Amino acid sequence: MRVEYINPFVEASYNILKEVLSSEVVRGELYLKSSSTPVLGVAALVGLAGDVEGRVLFDMTKATAIGIASIMNGEKLNAMDELAKATIQELANMITAQAVTKLHDLGFKFDLTPPALFTGENMEVSSSQVEALIVPMKLSCGKIEINVAIRERS
Amino acid sequence: MKTKSDFPSLNERKPGGQRVDGQAYRVLVVDDSMFVTKQMGQILTSEGFEVVATAGDGIEGLEKYKELFPNVDIVTMDITMPRMDGITALEKIIEFDKNAKVIMVSALGKQDLVKRSLLAGAKNYIVKPLDRKKVLERIVMSIDK
Repeated sequence: MRVEYINPFVEASYNILKEVLSSEVVRGELYLKSSSTPVLGVAALVGLAGDVEGRVLFDMTKATAIGIASIMNGEKLNAMDELAKATIQELANMITAQAVTKLHDLGFKFDLTPPALFTGENMEVSSSQVEALIVPMKLSCGKIEINVAIRERS
Repeated sequence: MKTKSDFPSLNERKPGGQRVDGQAYRVLVVDDSMFVTKQMGQILTSEGFEVVATAGDGIEGLEKYKELFPNVDIVTMDITMPRMDGITALEKIIEFDKNAKVIMVSALGKQDLVKRSLLAGAKNYIVKPLDRKKVLERIVMSIDK
């Protein structure tokens, strides 16, 4: 997978997270996974289809998701309720929209699916045909892993 | 001794969400995300606007507009929504009330859709993530238009 696909997602994640959480965000080391990856507990998935195809996963623990949703809503949320879920989906929406604008500017044309949210224990995600690039983002309330698996349409 | 009246009151500024007579502008918020609806509601009410109703998609938004009319002043309209998207809902609202003040809300990267909306009669647009100052600025601008 070409690194140029992941950079816009990393940049957009950094910008948006910093803006909505009003706190520092630290980019961790990028790593590559070709087999299945464990999912931390809450994952928002956005699909891409067009000149490039694949998916982007925003992966975090439930505690982190609730922490992020609490900050974004300006009130303490105690569970992964409807509001918390809508908040994390909206976060995924905003990040992907910004990243995609960048990729469109670079000449890649594709469409996005609305974010789907998965919650549960012991989940893993497999992308058999394409390896995933993962960038951890360290936040005040935990970390989000941006997990991108995209390839050019053959 | 100086009396109170010698000092200008710092609180003289009228909240942007109210008319000269102190009546609140009435807003219909249309968005499929509960998070955005809530956030928009908080921003608007903090500035004196009254959120008279919310709707989760274009069809519901259009129905609520017709139901509330003429007791609704402003609509904030998400673009990407299930059942009926925001641009179709905008067109139908304008068809029903050519003076409707509809403000589009969209994530970055939908410039083409935003342009289409403005051509279809939207008064302005707001890009998410919602920033309190920008939201209020764009909405107050649309009132004066």
